[in-house]
Amino acid sequence: MRAGRRERTAFIVAFLSPAVGLFGLFVLLPLVQALGVSLTRWRGVSSQRTFVGAANYERLMQDQAFWGALGHNLWLLLVVGVAVLSLALPVAHALRQRGHLGAVARTLALFPQVISTVVVAILWMFLLNPSFGLVDSLIRAVGLTPPRQGWLGEPSLALPSVAGALLWSMLGFYVLLFAAGIRGLSEDVMEAAELDGATGWRRFTRVTWPMLWAVRRTAVVYLGINLLNTFAVVYLMTQGGPDRRSEVMLTYLYQQAFVHSQFGYATAVAVMSLIAALGLSLTLMVLFREPGTPVLPRRRA
Amino acid sequence: MRRLAPSALLCLYILGIAIPLAWMILTSFKTGPEIFSRPWGLPASMHWANYANAWRGAGLGPAFINSIIVTAGTLALLLPAGAMAAYVLARYVFPGRGLIFGTFLSGMMFPHFLVIVPLFFLMRSLGLLNTMPGLILVYVGYSLSFTVFVLHGFFLALPEELAEAAMLDGCGHAGTFWRVMLPLARPGLVVAAIFNAIGLWNEYGLALVLLTRPETRTLPLAIADLSMTQHYQSDWGALFAGLVISAVPVMAVYAIFRDRIIETMLAGAVKG
Repeated sequence: MRAGRRERTAFIVAFLSPAVGLFGLFVLLPLVQALGVSLTRWRGVSSQRTFVGAANYERLMQDQAFWGALGHNLWLLLVVGVAVLSLALPVAHALRQRGHLGAVARTLALFPQVISTVVVAILWMFLLNPSFGLVDSLIRAVGLTPPRQGWLGEPSLALPSVAGALLWSMLGFYVLLFAAGIRGLSEDVMEAAELDGATGWRRFTRVTWPMLWAVRRTAVVYLGINLLNTFAVVYLMTQGGPDRRSEVMLTYLYQQAFVHSQFGYATAVAVMSLIAALGLSLTLMVLFREPGTPVLPRRRA
Repeated sequence: MRRLAPSALLCLYILGIAIPLAWMILTSFKTGPEIFSRPWGLPASMHWANYANAWRGAGLGPAFINSIIVTAGTLALLLPAGAMAAYVLARYVFPGRGLIFGTFLSGMMFPHFLVIVPLFFLMRSLGLLNTMPGLILVYVGYSLSFTVFVLHGFFLALPEELAEAAMLDGCGHAGTFWRVMLPLARPGLVVAAIFNAIGLWNEYGLALVLLTRPETRTLPLAIADLSMTQHYQSDWGALFAGLVISAVPVMAVYAIFRDRIIETMLAGAVKG
């Protein structure tokens, strides 16, 4: 019996250790080290690593470029978020119908998401290309003039262009998420609503929209995480330019670390980004809570 | 009218996805002058030379092989390590179980790029910078959260009697796992493999920092480099061929396993 217990313990330890070891070494250890690195001035040569306390964070507070980048992340979240929520729900609703169109849409929906963000970024760079991109020729076809410096060269249009590429690549996932949510609403509820005279738009605002609160919350928290994580699309399409007008937190972090070799400062940017991500997730969870419930859930006795 | 509106919306949605993708594929078969003169037109003839130029001239061939090595190598380590941990976490009760499972799950929530600086120096001190085994180990680490989460669900759903019967037959804990439980969890392994393969094939941020030598580059790195250098050489056809070479394998895998992929994605979204 005792041999059996020891054997069981040895089995559990042996089976857990490869995963725990790799996760600990490559995920948890760097995460813990990040806190320490953010308190140093470090140019990348180990002997020149000096402890500077909170100096990096003090500098961060004054750093216009960092706050600008954070602002761009939040702008992307607002604009792409509103666009996703207002497009995904009608498309998901339309997907309820069976038939060829629905099947084609379901197959195509995730294509923009399963291809690499590198492909998305480069494809959109060329769709927006002033000399042979499709977007400009469409605009000319309806009699308007496209931006003279090109979409990505115009300071005020660079970030909206990035938002367009992100929307194109992300929308499908949310369409399928809402489609699953709508399918999850029981037929009884929908029929009862119909018997009560709630159809069409009225049924949508009174029944469907409130009942989808959980799916909506999942969607906005996902959007928040994904849009704070934006890196490749911005880095490849605009490099944060022109004039930092499309800089986001991760491109700023990358530049500070691997272009300017300010490793301590870059890691302080990383820690602040993590705090921003956690704060944002919590805020979104509260804002998109179940309709009619208080901010803090009451403890059950 | 009421029937028509949803169909019209679906048509617009389909066109919005399909036109950019179709344009990418068509452009990859055009000659340089054609790309400029007829952006909406069909190629006069299939200009396969773009693919040869991308594969050989632009070095996407070796990068394609590297991507296959990294993706396959990561899966070869990830699936056994993930399955073993998920199995123990799903079917054995022991102190610390909740903590370990929770720690794995939390890894799905935080952006991996945030630890890039400490990770870069960790890899440098281990001598693993600019090596494919190094990138594979890092990929395994960052893919474990999702893999353990998915396989945990599959092992949890297997009936208890099977494991008990195998133990009574004298299989032992490890034998029960390898001979009885793991084969039963095969659908879960397939899902985890497809999902991770797509993500690994496309990964850019970590590879950008951890691989800087041209001969170790993966496909996304090589394509990104090509898009930078093409500004000077402007062989756009080869660049579009590169985009297609990267995108078509994942689109094919997705089209084949569509329903399973959607199901797993949504399960992760609803429970995560």
